[in-house]
Amino acid sequence: MCVSLSLCLVRWSRYNPYYLDPDPSKDARVPESELSPEEKELQELKTVSPIKAALSSDTSSAFNDPLISKFINMMMQDGNKILARGIMTQTLETIKRKQVEKYHKSPAAKREEIECNPYTVFHQALENCKPIIGLASVQKGGKSYQVPVPLTDNRRRFLAMKWLITECRDNKHRRTHMYEKLSQELLAAFANEGNVVKRKHDLHKMAEANRAYAHYRWW
Amino acid sequence: MLWKLYYILITFNPACSFLSQTYHSEGHSGQYYTLPPTHIQKLFPYGLPPRFQLQIKTFNEGCVMVRPPALELISYLKRADYSKPPLRYVLYGDIGTGKTMSLCHALHYCYSQGWLIVHVPDAHLWVKNCKELLPSSSRPSRFDQPIQASQWLKNFKITNERFLSKLKTTQRYVWTKRESTEKGQPLGELIDQGVNRMKSSSDVVGAVLRELRLQAGGATEGEGAFKLAVAVDGVNALWGKTSLKKEDRTMVCCGGAILTALSQTGSVFKPRSAYLPSELLGEEGFDNMEPFVPVSVSNYNEKEFESCYLYYLDRNWLQHPHSRSEEGKKELIFLSNKNPSILERLCAFL
Repeated sequence: MCVSLSLCLVRWSRYNPYYLDPDPSKDARVPESELSPEEKELQELKTVSPIKAALSSDTSSAFNDPLISKFINMMMQDGNKILARGIMTQTLETIKRKQVEKYHKSPAAKREEIECNPYTVFHQALENCKPIIGLASVQKGGKSYQVPVPLTDNRRRFLAMKWLITECRDNKHRRTHMYEKLSQELLAAFANEGNVVKRKHDLHKMAEANRAYAHYRWW
Repeated sequence: MLWKLYYILITFNPACSFLSQTYHSEGHSGQYYTLPPTHIQKLFPYGLPPRFQLQIKTFNEGCVMVRPPALELISYLKRADYSKPPLRYVLYGDIGTGKTMSLCHALHYCYSQGWLIVHVPDAHLWVKNCKELLPSSSRPSRFDQPIQASQWLKNFKITNERFLSKLKTTQRYVWTKRESTEKGQPLGELIDQGVNRMKSSSDVVGAVLRELRLQAGGATEGEGAFKLAVAVDGVNALWGKTSLKKEDRTMVCCGGAILTALSQTGSVFKPRSAYLPSELLGEEGFDNMEPFVPVSVSNYNEKEFESCYLYYLDRNWLQHPHSRSEEGKKELIFLSNKNPSILERLCAFL
Protein backbone atom coordinates (compact mmCIF):
# COMPACT_ATOMS: atom_id res chain seq x y z
CA MET A 1 0.00 0.00 0.00
CA CYS A 2 2.67 2.59 0.96
CA VAL A 3 4.07 4.52 -1.98
CA SER A 4 7.80 3.94 -2.04
CA LEU A 5 9.29 7.43 -2.14
CA SER A 6 12.72 8.15 -0.81
CA LEU A 7 11.74 10.69 1.82
CA CYS A 8 14.52 12.36 3.73
CA LEU A 9 13.38 13.65 7.09
CA VAL A 10 14.01 17.36 6.87
CA ARG A 11 11.74 18.33 9.70
CA TRP A 12 12.33 16.78 13.07
CA SER A 13 9.80 17.30 15.83
CA ARG A 14 12.50 18.32 18.33
CA TYR A 15 13.91 21.73 17.57
CA ASN A 16 15.86 24.13 19.71
CA PRO A 17 13.34 26.43 21.47
CA TYR A 18 14.49 29.59 19.70
CA TYR A 19 13.43 28.24 16.28
CA LEU A 20 10.34 30.04 15.02
CA ASP A 21 7.30 28.47 13.33
CA PRO A 22 6.95 29.05 9.57
CA ASP A 23 4.02 31.11 8.31
CA PRO A 24 3.26 30.09 4.72
CA SER A 25 0.26 32.38 4.14
CA LYS A 26 0.56 35.19 1.61
CA ASP A 27 -0.25 37.93 4.17
CA ALA A 28 2.82 37.07 6.24
CA ARG A 29 4.85 39.87 4.72
CA VAL A 30 3.34 43.20 5.73
CA PRO A 31 5.05 46.51 4.80
CA GLU A 32 7.01 48.29 7.54
CA SER A 33 4.72 51.29 7.93
CA GLU A 34 1.64 49.31 9.08
CA LEU A 35 3.29 47.64 12.05
CA SER A 36 3.13 48.66 15.69
CA PRO A 37 6.44 48.81 17.68
CA GLU A 38 6.03 45.29 19.15
CA GLU A 39 5.35 43.83 15.75
CA LYS A 40 8.40 45.59 14.35
CA GLU A 41 10.48 43.87 16.99
CA LEU A 42 8.97 40.53 16.03
CA GLN A 43 9.78 41.16 12.37
CA GLU A 44 13.40 41.92 13.23
CA LEU A 45 13.56 38.74 15.26
CA LYS A 46 12.31 36.81 12.25
CA THR A 47 15.08 38.13 10.04
CA VAL A 48 17.72 37.01 12.51
CA SER A 49 16.55 33.79 14.14
CA PRO A 50 16.26 30.43 12.38
CA ILE A 51 12.88 29.03 11.28
CA LYS A 52 11.73 25.39 11.34
CA ALA A 53 11.21 23.61 8.02
CA ALA A 54 7.66 23.81 6.69
CA LEU A 55 5.49 20.68 6.65
CA SER A 56 4.63 19.31 3.24
CA SER A 57 0.93 19.45 4.11
CA ASP A 58 0.91 23.25 4.62
CA THR A 59 0.11 25.39 1.57
CA SER A 60 0.25 29.12 0.98
CA SER A 61 -3.28 29.08 -0.44
CA ALA A 62 -6.11 30.53 1.64
CA PHE A 63 -7.91 27.18 1.45
CA ASN A 64 -5.43 25.80 3.97
CA ASP A 65 -6.99 25.41 7.42
CA PRO A 66 -4.75 24.47 10.41
CA LEU A 67 -7.64 22.95 12.41
CA ILE A 68 -8.63 20.69 9.52
CA SER A 69 -4.98 19.66 9.04
CA LYS A 70 -4.73 18.77 12.73
CA PHE A 71 -7.90 16.70 12.51
CA ILE A 72 -6.61 14.88 9.42
CA ASN A 73 -3.39 14.05 11.27
CA MET A 74 -5.35 12.67 14.19
CA MET A 75 -7.49 10.51 11.92
CA MET A 76 -4.47 9.17 10.06
CA GLN A 77 -3.46 5.56 10.67
CA ASP A 78 -0.11 3.99 9.71
CA GLY A 79 0.91 7.22 7.99
CA ASN A 80 -1.77 6.95 5.30
CA LYS A 81 -2.35 10.68 4.90
CA ILE A 82 -3.96 10.31 1.46
CA LEU A 83 -6.75 8.16 2.87
CA ALA A 84 -7.27 10.44 5.88
CA ARG A 85 -7.43 13.54 3.67
CA GLY A 86 -9.84 11.78 1.32
CA ILE A 87 -12.13 10.91 4.23
CA MET A 88 -12.01 14.52 5.44
CA THR A 89 -12.92 15.95 2.01
CA GLN A 90 -15.75 13.43 1.65
CA THR A 91 -17.00 14.40 5.13
CA LEU A 92 -17.02 18.10 4.20
CA GLU A 93 -18.78 17.27 0.96
CA THR A 94 -21.45 15.19 2.73
CA ILE A 95 -22.10 17.91 5.30
CA LYS A 96 -22.43 20.48 2.53
CA ARG A 97 -24.75 18.26 0.48
CA LYS A 98 -27.08 17.63 3.40
CA GLN A 99 -27.23 21.31 4.33
CA VAL A 100 -27.66 22.57 0.74
CA GLU A 101 -30.42 20.03 0.13
CA LYS A 102 -32.19 21.25 3.25
CA TYR A 103 -31.62 24.83 2.09
CA HIS A 104 -33.17 24.29 -1.33
CA LYS A 105 -36.17 22.41 0.02
CA SER A 106 -37.05 24.87 2.79
CA PRO A 107 -39.20 28.00 2.29
CA ALA A 108 -37.50 31.37 1.92
CA ALA A 109 -38.15 32.39 5.54
CA LYS A 110 -36.10 29.55 7.03
CA ARG A 111 -33.20 29.72 4.60
CA GLU A 112 -31.26 32.29 6.61
CA GLU A 113 -30.84 29.98 9.59
CA ILE A 114 -29.39 27.02 7.68
CA GLU A 115 -25.59 27.05 7.75
CA CYS A 116 -24.28 25.61 4.50
CA ASN A 117 -20.56 26.24 4.89
CA PRO A 118 -18.97 22.92 6.01
CA TYR A 119 -15.98 24.73 7.52
CA THR A 120 -18.08 26.86 9.86
CA VAL A 121 -20.10 23.75 10.78
CA PHE A 122 -16.86 21.91 11.60
CA HIS A 123 -15.40 24.74 13.69
CA GLN A 124 -18.63 25.31 15.60
CA ALA A 125 -19.15 21.59 16.21
CA LEU A 126 -15.62 21.28 17.56
CA GLU A 127 -16.19 24.28 19.85
CA ASN A 128 -19.35 22.66 21.16
CA CYS A 129 -17.42 19.47 21.94
CA LYS A 130 -14.54 21.11 23.84
CA PRO A 131 -14.71 20.55 27.62
CA ILE A 132 -14.10 23.59 29.85
CA ILE A 133 -12.79 21.74 32.86
CA GLY A 134 -11.13 18.35 33.14
CA LEU A 135 -10.26 15.75 35.76
CA ALA A 136 -6.79 14.73 36.88
CA SER A 137 -5.84 11.84 39.11
CA VAL A 138 -4.04 13.01 42.29
CA GLN A 139 -2.67 10.61 44.90
CA LYS A 140 -3.03 11.73 48.52
CA GLY A 141 -2.64 9.58 51.60
CA GLY A 142 -2.48 6.29 49.71
CA LYS A 143 -5.73 6.94 47.82
CA SER A 144 -6.11 8.53 44.38
CA TYR A 145 -8.79 11.14 43.83
CA GLN A 146 -10.27 12.58 40.62
CA VAL A 147 -9.57 16.31 41.00
CA PRO A 148 -11.19 19.00 38.78
CA VAL A 149 -8.46 20.85 36.94
CA PRO A 150 -8.33 23.63 34.28
CA LEU A 151 -7.26 22.53 30.82
CA THR A 152 -5.03 24.29 28.31
CA ASP A 153 -6.41 25.19 24.87
CA ASN A 154 -4.38 22.53 23.14
CA ARG A 155 -5.58 19.86 25.54
CA ARG A 156 -9.20 20.87 25.05
CA ARG A 157 -8.88 20.78 21.27
CA PHE A 158 -7.16 17.41 21.45
CA LEU A 159 -9.87 15.92 23.68
CA ALA A 160 -12.69 17.18 21.43
CA MET A 161 -11.10 15.68 18.31
CA LYS A 162 -10.22 12.42 20.07
CA TRP A 163 -13.74 11.96 21.35
CA LEU A 164 -15.21 12.63 17.88
CA ILE A 165 -12.95 10.09 16.21
CA THR A 166 -13.33 7.32 18.80
CA GLU A 167 -17.09 7.82 18.88
CA CYS A 168 -17.28 7.39 15.13
CA ARG A 169 -14.94 4.43 15.07
CA ASP A 170 -16.48 2.43 17.90
CA ASN A 171 -20.10 3.25 18.51
CA LYS A 172 -21.59 3.27 15.03
CA HIS A 173 -22.94 0.63 12.70
CA ARG A 174 -20.19 -1.50 11.17
CA ARG A 175 -21.21 -1.11 7.54
CA THR A 176 -21.40 2.71 7.29
CA HIS A 177 -18.48 4.64 5.85
CA MET A 178 -16.35 6.82 8.11
CA TYR A 179 -17.29 10.01 6.27
CA GLU A 180 -21.01 9.30 6.78
CA LYS A 181 -20.53 8.61 10.49
CA LEU A 182 -18.38 11.74 10.90
CA SER A 183 -20.83 13.98 9.05
CA GLN A 184 -23.75 12.74 11.18
CA GLU A 185 -21.78 13.27 14.38
CA LEU A 186 -20.56 16.74 13.33
CA LEU A 187 -24.04 17.91 12.36
CA ALA A 188 -25.38 16.64 15.70
CA ALA A 189 -22.59 18.42 17.60
CA PHE A 190 -23.32 21.60 15.65
CA ALA A 191 -26.85 21.44 17.06
CA ASN A 192 -25.53 20.57 20.56
CA GLU A 193 -26.89 17.04 20.45
CA GLY A 194 -25.26 13.66 19.98
CA ASN A 195 -22.96 11.39 21.95
CA VAL A 196 -19.84 13.54 21.97
CA VAL A 197 -21.57 16.55 23.48
CA LYS A 198 -23.18 14.16 25.98
CA ARG A 199 -19.72 12.92 26.95
CA LYS A 200 -18.54 16.48 27.49
CA HIS A 201 -21.54 17.16 29.72
CA ASP A 202 -20.82 13.97 31.69
CA LEU A 203 -17.26 15.16 32.30
CA HIS A 204 -18.53 18.53 33.49
CA LYS A 205 -20.97 16.83 35.89
CA MET A 206 -18.20 14.60 37.30
CA ALA A 207 -16.00 17.67 37.83
CA GLU A 208 -18.88 19.47 39.57
CA ALA A 209 -19.52 16.42 41.76
CA ASN A 210 -15.85 16.28 42.80
CA ARG A 211 -15.67 19.97 43.68
CA ALA A 212 -14.69 19.16 47.22
CA TYR A 213 -11.34 17.75 46.13
CA ALA A 214 -10.36 20.89 44.22
CA HIS A 215 -7.95 21.88 47.01
CA TYR A 216 -5.83 18.78 46.36
CA ARG A 217 -4.47 20.52 43.31
CA TRP A 218 -1.20 22.23 44.09
CA TRP A 219 -0.34 23.63 40.62
CA MET B 1 -41.12 19.36 -41.04
CA LEU B 2 -42.86 21.05 -38.19
CA TRP B 3 -40.68 21.55 -35.14
CA LYS B 4 -42.58 22.19 -31.97
CA LEU B 5 -41.00 25.06 -30.09
CA TYR B 6 -41.98 25.39 -26.49
CA TYR B 7 -39.72 27.34 -24.17
CA ILE B 8 -39.78 29.22 -20.91
CA LEU B 9 -37.06 31.80 -20.38
CA ILE B 10 -36.13 32.45 -16.76
CA THR B 11 -33.29 34.91 -16.28
CA PHE B 12 -31.50 34.93 -12.92
CA ASN B 13 -28.59 37.05 -14.00
CA PRO B 14 -27.57 38.09 -17.50
CA ALA B 15 -24.47 35.94 -17.73
CA CYS B 16 -26.23 32.70 -16.84
CA SER B 17 -29.83 32.30 -17.91
CA PHE B 18 -31.80 29.11 -17.53
CA LEU B 19 -33.76 27.94 -20.54
CA SER B 20 -35.91 24.87 -20.59
CA GLN B 21 -36.51 24.34 -24.26
CA THR B 22 -35.86 21.74 -26.89
CA TYR B 23 -34.51 24.08 -29.53
CA HIS B 24 -30.93 25.19 -29.01
CA SER B 25 -28.58 27.08 -31.27
CA GLU B 26 -24.99 28.30 -31.31
CA GLY B 27 -25.83 31.43 -29.33
CA HIS B 28 -26.86 29.39 -26.30
CA SER B 29 -23.49 27.77 -25.85
CA GLY B 30 -22.34 28.02 -22.23
CA GLN B 31 -25.80 28.48 -20.77
CA TYR B 32 -27.64 26.03 -18.58
CA TYR B 33 -30.91 24.39 -19.47
CA THR B 34 -33.21 22.58 -17.05
CA LEU B 35 -34.30 19.01 -17.61
CA PRO B 36 -37.96 18.64 -16.58
CA PRO B 37 -38.19 16.21 -13.62
CA THR B 38 -40.76 13.97 -15.35
CA HIS B 39 -38.37 13.50 -18.24
CA ILE B 40 -35.50 12.64 -15.90
CA GLN B 41 -37.54 9.94 -14.21
CA LYS B 42 -38.69 8.41 -17.47
CA LEU B 43 -35.69 8.74 -19.68
CA PHE B 44 -32.74 8.56 -17.32
CA PRO B 45 -33.47 6.20 -14.42
CA TYR B 46 -29.98 4.80 -14.95
CA GLY B 47 -28.27 6.66 -17.78
CA LEU B 48 -26.76 9.70 -16.07
CA PRO B 49 -23.31 9.72 -14.46
CA PRO B 50 -23.57 8.99 -10.68
CA ARG B 51 -22.10 12.32 -9.56
CA PHE B 52 -24.62 14.17 -11.71
CA GLN B 53 -27.44 12.20 -10.11
CA LEU B 54 -26.15 13.29 -6.67
CA GLN B 55 -26.09 16.86 -7.94
CA ILE B 56 -29.71 16.62 -9.12
CA LYS B 57 -30.71 15.35 -5.69
CA THR B 58 -28.81 18.13 -3.86
CA PHE B 59 -29.90 21.08 -5.97
CA ASN B 60 -33.46 19.75 -6.39
CA GLU B 61 -33.21 20.24 -10.16
CA GLY B 62 -31.25 18.88 -13.11
CA CYS B 63 -29.40 21.52 -15.15
CA VAL B 64 -27.21 20.66 -18.10
CA MET B 65 -24.77 23.04 -19.74
CA VAL B 66 -25.25 23.52 -23.48
CA ARG B 67 -21.86 22.82 -25.03
CA PRO B 68 -20.54 22.75 -28.63
CA PRO B 69 -20.16 18.95 -28.97
CA ALA B 70 -23.81 18.38 -28.00
CA LEU B 71 -24.94 21.22 -30.27
CA GLU B 72 -22.96 19.71 -33.15
CA LEU B 73 -24.54 16.32 -32.56
CA ILE B 74 -28.05 17.76 -32.42
CA SER B 75 -27.53 19.73 -35.63
CA TYR B 76 -26.35 16.54 -37.37
CA LEU B 77 -29.41 14.73 -36.12
CA LYS B 78 -31.65 17.49 -37.44
CA ARG B 79 -30.12 17.49 -40.88
CA ALA B 80 -29.60 13.76 -41.42
CA ASP B 81 -31.47 11.88 -44.11
CA TYR B 82 -33.40 9.05 -42.50
CA SER B 83 -34.30 6.98 -45.50
CA LYS B 84 -30.69 5.81 -45.78
CA PRO B 85 -28.81 3.51 -43.35
CA PRO B 86 -28.16 5.35 -40.13
CA LEU B 87 -25.14 7.48 -39.38
CA ARG B 88 -22.92 6.54 -36.50
CA TYR B 89 -21.55 9.22 -34.21
CA VAL B 90 -18.74 8.58 -31.77
CA LEU B 91 -18.08 10.98 -28.92
CA TYR B 92 -14.47 10.80 -27.80
CA GLY B 93 -12.26 12.83 -25.50
CA ASP B 94 -10.07 12.76 -22.43
CA ILE B 95 -11.35 11.56 -19.06
CA GLY B 96 -13.91 13.78 -17.38
CA THR B 97 -14.54 16.15 -20.29
CA GLY B 98 -18.28 15.48 -20.58
CA LYS B 99 -18.85 12.71 -23.14
CA THR B 100 -21.63 10.96 -21.22
CA MET B 101 -23.33 14.27 -20.45
CA SER B 102 -23.29 15.32 -24.13
CA LEU B 103 -24.71 11.92 -25.05
CA CYS B 104 -27.51 12.36 -22.50
CA HIS B 105 -28.22 15.87 -23.80
CA ALA B 106 -28.58 14.60 -27.38
CA LEU B 107 -30.71 11.71 -26.12
CA HIS B 108 -33.03 14.11 -24.33
CA TYR B 109 -33.43 16.00 -27.59
CA CYS B 110 -34.35 12.73 -29.35
CA TYR B 111 -36.80 11.85 -26.61
CA SER B 112 -38.55 15.20 -26.81
CA GLN B 113 -38.81 14.76 -30.58
CA GLY B 114 -40.60 11.47 -29.96
CA TRP B 115 -38.01 8.93 -31.01
CA LEU B 116 -37.77 5.44 -29.60
CA ILE B 117 -34.72 5.18 -27.39
CA VAL B 118 -32.48 2.15 -26.99
CA HIS B 119 -29.98 3.23 -24.34
CA VAL B 120 -27.14 1.15 -22.98
CA PRO B 121 -25.83 3.25 -20.10
CA ASP B 122 -22.52 1.48 -19.72
CA ALA B 123 -21.49 -1.35 -21.99
CA HIS B 124 -18.67 -2.22 -19.60
CA LEU B 125 -21.25 -3.62 -17.16
CA TRP B 126 -22.10 -6.33 -19.66
CA VAL B 127 -18.53 -7.30 -20.21
CA LYS B 128 -16.92 -7.59 -16.82
CA ASN B 129 -17.58 -8.46 -13.15
CA CYS B 130 -20.53 -10.64 -14.02
CA LYS B 131 -22.18 -12.43 -11.11
CA GLU B 132 -24.29 -14.97 -12.99
CA LEU B 133 -23.38 -16.49 -16.29
CA LEU B 134 -25.64 -19.06 -17.94
CA PRO B 135 -25.04 -20.89 -21.18
CA SER B 136 -27.59 -19.65 -23.65
CA SER B 137 -30.55 -21.82 -24.60
CA SER B 138 -30.91 -20.49 -28.13
CA ARG B 139 -27.34 -20.61 -29.35
CA PRO B 140 -24.82 -23.08 -27.97
CA SER B 141 -21.71 -20.88 -28.09
CA ARG B 142 -23.22 -17.86 -26.37
CA PHE B 143 -23.39 -16.96 -22.68
CA ASP B 144 -26.23 -15.10 -21.00
CA GLN B 145 -26.37 -12.59 -18.18
CA PRO B 146 -29.89 -12.80 -16.77
CA ILE B 147 -29.59 -10.03 -14.14
CA GLN B 148 -28.24 -7.44 -16.53
CA ALA B 149 -30.72 -8.39 -19.25
CA SER B 150 -33.80 -8.16 -17.02
CA GLN B 151 -32.57 -4.86 -15.55
CA TRP B 152 -32.14 -3.44 -19.03
CA LEU B 153 -35.59 -4.64 -20.11
CA LYS B 154 -37.23 -2.96 -17.09
CA ASN B 155 -35.53 0.32 -17.92
CA PHE B 156 -36.43 0.01 -21.59
CA LYS B 157 -40.06 -0.42 -20.58
CA ILE B 158 -40.05 2.73 -18.42
CA THR B 159 -38.47 4.81 -21.16
CA ASN B 160 -40.53 3.74 -24.14
CA GLU B 161 -43.95 3.11 -22.69
CA ARG B 162 -45.96 4.74 -25.41
CA PHE B 163 -44.41 2.61 -28.13
CA LEU B 164 -44.96 -0.72 -26.48
CA SER B 165 -48.60 -1.11 -27.39
CA LYS B 166 -48.12 0.13 -30.95
CA LEU B 167 -45.39 -2.22 -32.10
CA LYS B 168 -46.16 -5.82 -32.94
CA THR B 169 -43.90 -8.84 -33.22
CA THR B 170 -43.37 -10.19 -36.74
CA GLN B 171 -42.62 -13.80 -35.92
CA ARG B 172 -43.22 -16.45 -33.38
CA TYR B 173 -40.74 -16.85 -30.50
CA VAL B 174 -40.46 -20.05 -28.53
CA TRP B 175 -38.94 -19.70 -25.08
CA THR B 176 -39.45 -23.11 -23.52
CA LYS B 177 -41.57 -26.16 -24.30
CA ARG B 178 -44.67 -24.53 -22.83
CA GLU B 179 -44.13 -20.80 -23.35
CA SER B 180 -44.09 -18.96 -26.63
CA THR B 181 -45.05 -15.57 -27.96
CA GLU B 182 -47.24 -15.59 -31.08
CA LYS B 183 -46.87 -13.44 -34.15
CA GLY B 184 -48.61 -10.06 -33.92
CA GLN B 185 -48.46 -9.65 -30.14
CA PRO B 186 -47.63 -6.18 -28.79
CA LEU B 187 -44.04 -5.61 -27.80
CA GLY B 188 -45.05 -4.97 -24.19
CA GLU B 189 -45.86 -8.65 -23.76
CA LEU B 190 -42.45 -9.67 -25.05
CA ILE B 191 -40.76 -7.45 -22.51
CA ASP B 192 -42.94 -8.68 -19.67
CA GLN B 193 -41.97 -12.20 -20.64
CA GLY B 194 -38.31 -11.27 -20.33
CA VAL B 195 -38.76 -9.47 -17.01
CA ASN B 196 -40.71 -12.30 -15.42
CA ARG B 197 -38.62 -15.18 -16.65
CA MET B 198 -34.97 -14.56 -15.84
CA LYS B 199 -33.68 -17.50 -17.78
CA SER B 200 -34.85 -16.32 -21.15
CA SER B 201 -34.34 -12.59 -20.57
CA SER B 202 -31.20 -12.34 -22.70
CA ASP B 203 -32.97 -14.02 -25.60
CA VAL B 204 -35.81 -11.53 -25.16
CA VAL B 205 -33.26 -8.73 -25.46
CA GLY B 206 -32.06 -10.21 -28.73
CA ALA B 207 -35.63 -10.57 -29.98
CA VAL B 208 -36.49 -6.99 -29.07
CA LEU B 209 -33.46 -5.65 -30.91
CA ARG B 210 -34.30 -7.74 -33.97
CA GLU B 211 -37.90 -6.47 -34.00
CA LEU B 212 -36.82 -2.85 -33.69
CA ARG B 213 -34.27 -3.31 -36.42
CA LEU B 214 -36.86 -4.70 -38.84
CA GLN B 215 -39.58 -2.22 -38.03
CA ALA B 216 -37.62 1.01 -37.86
CA GLY B 217 -37.17 0.88 -41.61
CA GLY B 218 -40.90 1.08 -42.35
CA ALA B 219 -41.07 4.85 -42.26
CA THR B 220 -43.74 5.37 -44.90
CA GLU B 221 -46.77 4.25 -42.88
CA GLY B 222 -48.38 7.05 -40.92
CA GLU B 223 -48.91 5.38 -37.59
CA GLY B 224 -46.16 2.86 -37.43
CA ALA B 225 -43.40 5.30 -38.32
CA PHE B 226 -40.93 6.06 -35.63
CA LYS B 227 -37.28 6.92 -35.43
CA LEU B 228 -34.91 4.80 -33.48
CA ALA B 229 -32.00 6.15 -31.50
CA VAL B 230 -29.47 3.64 -30.29
CA ALA B 231 -27.17 5.13 -27.69
CA VAL B 232 -24.35 3.10 -26.25
CA ASP B 233 -21.97 4.50 -23.67
CA GLY B 234 -18.61 2.84 -23.39
CA VAL B 235 -18.85 1.30 -26.82
CA ASN B 236 -15.20 0.28 -26.71
CA ALA B 237 -16.20 -2.42 -24.25
CA LEU B 238 -17.96 -4.36 -26.95
CA TRP B 239 -14.87 -5.17 -28.98
CA GLY B 240 -12.09 -5.23 -26.44
CA LYS B 241 -10.92 -8.21 -24.51
CA THR B 242 -13.39 -9.22 -21.87
CA SER B 243 -12.81 -10.56 -18.43
CA LEU B 244 -15.62 -13.01 -19.18
CA LYS B 245 -14.69 -15.91 -21.29
CA LYS B 246 -16.91 -15.38 -24.35
CA GLU B 247 -18.81 -12.50 -25.94
CA ASP B 248 -19.92 -11.51 -29.42
CA ARG B 249 -21.39 -8.44 -31.13
CA THR B 250 -23.86 -7.57 -33.88
CA MET B 251 -25.21 -4.20 -34.97
CA VAL B 252 -27.18 -3.38 -38.12
CA CYS B 253 -30.09 -0.94 -38.38
CA CYS B 254 -31.99 1.27 -40.82
CA GLY B 255 -33.88 4.52 -40.39
CA GLY B 256 -32.47 5.95 -37.24
CA ALA B 257 -29.26 7.04 -35.66
CA ILE B 258 -26.57 5.41 -33.62
CA LEU B 259 -24.97 7.58 -30.96
CA THR B 260 -22.08 6.24 -29.01
CA ALA B 261 -19.55 7.51 -26.52
CA LEU B 262 -16.21 5.99 -25.67
CA SER B 263 -15.24 5.58 -22.09
CA GLN B 264 -11.84 4.84 -20.62
CA THR B 265 -12.88 4.47 -16.97
CA GLY B 266 -14.07 0.94 -16.52
CA SER B 267 -12.52 -0.41 -19.70
CA VAL B 268 -10.43 -3.47 -19.12
CA PHE B 269 -6.86 -3.93 -20.28
CA LYS B 270 -6.40 -0.41 -21.61
CA PRO B 271 -3.89 2.22 -20.39
CA ARG B 272 -5.23 5.30 -18.67
CA SER B 273 -3.90 7.83 -21.14
CA ALA B 274 -5.64 6.27 -24.17
CA TYR B 275 -8.56 8.38 -25.33
CA LEU B 276 -8.58 8.46 -29.15
CA PRO B 277 -11.07 6.22 -30.97
CA SER B 278 -8.36 4.20 -32.65
CA GLU B 279 -6.71 3.38 -29.33
CA LEU B 280 -9.82 2.55 -27.33
CA LEU B 281 -11.87 0.75 -29.98
CA GLY B 282 -9.03 -1.45 -31.17
CA GLU B 283 -8.61 -2.58 -34.75
CA GLU B 284 -11.67 -4.81 -34.89
CA GLY B 285 -13.90 -2.18 -33.30
CA PHE B 286 -12.64 0.53 -35.60
CA ASP B 287 -13.34 -1.55 -38.70
CA ASN B 288 -16.81 -2.42 -37.42
CA MET B 289 -17.75 1.11 -36.51
CA GLU B 290 -16.34 2.72 -39.62
CA PRO B 291 -17.55 4.92 -41.28
CA PHE B 292 -18.47 7.11 -38.32
CA VAL B 293 -18.69 10.80 -37.50
CA PRO B 294 -16.28 11.57 -34.67
CA VAL B 295 -17.26 14.34 -32.27
CA SER B 296 -14.51 15.54 -29.98
CA VAL B 297 -15.30 16.65 -26.42
CA SER B 298 -12.76 18.79 -24.59
CA ASN B 299 -12.34 20.73 -21.35
CA TYR B 300 -14.28 23.92 -20.65
CA ASN B 301 -13.20 27.09 -22.39
CA GLU B 302 -13.24 30.38 -20.44
CA LYS B 303 -16.85 31.26 -21.13
CA GLU B 304 -18.05 27.80 -20.10
CA PHE B 305 -15.91 27.83 -16.97
CA GLU B 306 -17.34 31.24 -16.08
CA SER B 307 -20.86 29.90 -16.59
CA CYS B 308 -20.20 26.83 -14.44
CA TYR B 309 -18.66 28.97 -11.68
CA LEU B 310 -21.64 31.32 -11.67
CA TYR B 311 -24.06 28.38 -11.63
CA TYR B 312 -22.37 26.95 -8.53
CA LEU B 313 -22.44 30.38 -6.88
CA ASP B 314 -26.11 30.77 -7.68
CA ARG B 315 -26.98 27.35 -6.28
CA ASN B 316 -25.14 28.19 -3.06
CA TRP B 317 -22.59 25.44 -3.68
CA LEU B 318 -19.29 27.34 -3.38
CA GLN B 319 -19.23 28.05 0.34
CA HIS B 320 -15.61 28.80 1.22
CA PRO B 321 -15.19 32.60 1.31
CA HIS B 322 -11.87 32.43 -0.54
CA SER B 323 -13.39 30.50 -3.45
CA ARG B 324 -15.75 33.42 -4.07
CA SER B 325 -12.88 35.87 -4.58
CA GLU B 326 -10.90 36.50 -7.77
CA GLU B 327 -7.82 34.75 -6.44
CA GLY B 328 -9.81 31.72 -5.42
CA LYS B 329 -11.24 31.52 -8.92
CA LYS B 330 -7.75 31.59 -10.39
CA GLU B 331 -6.74 28.81 -8.02
CA LEU B 332 -9.68 26.72 -9.12
CA ILE B 333 -8.74 27.21 -12.78
CA PHE B 334 -5.18 26.20 -12.01
CA LEU B 335 -6.07 23.13 -9.95
CA SER B 336 -8.73 21.75 -12.27
CA ASN B 337 -7.28 22.82 -15.65
CA LYS B 338 -10.93 23.59 -16.52
CA ASN B 339 -11.73 19.88 -16.62
CA PRO B 340 -15.45 19.53 -15.80
CA SER B 341 -15.28 16.48 -13.53
CA ILE B 342 -12.20 17.63 -11.59
CA LEU B 343 -13.77 21.07 -11.09
CA GLU B 344 -16.93 19.41 -9.79
CA ARG B 345 -14.99 17.27 -7.32
CA LEU B 346 -12.96 20.28 -6.13
CA CYS B 347 -15.98 22.52 -5.61
CA ALA B 348 -17.71 19.71 -3.72
CA PHE B 349 -15.68 20.18 -0.57
CA LEU B 350 -14.88 23.89 -0.89
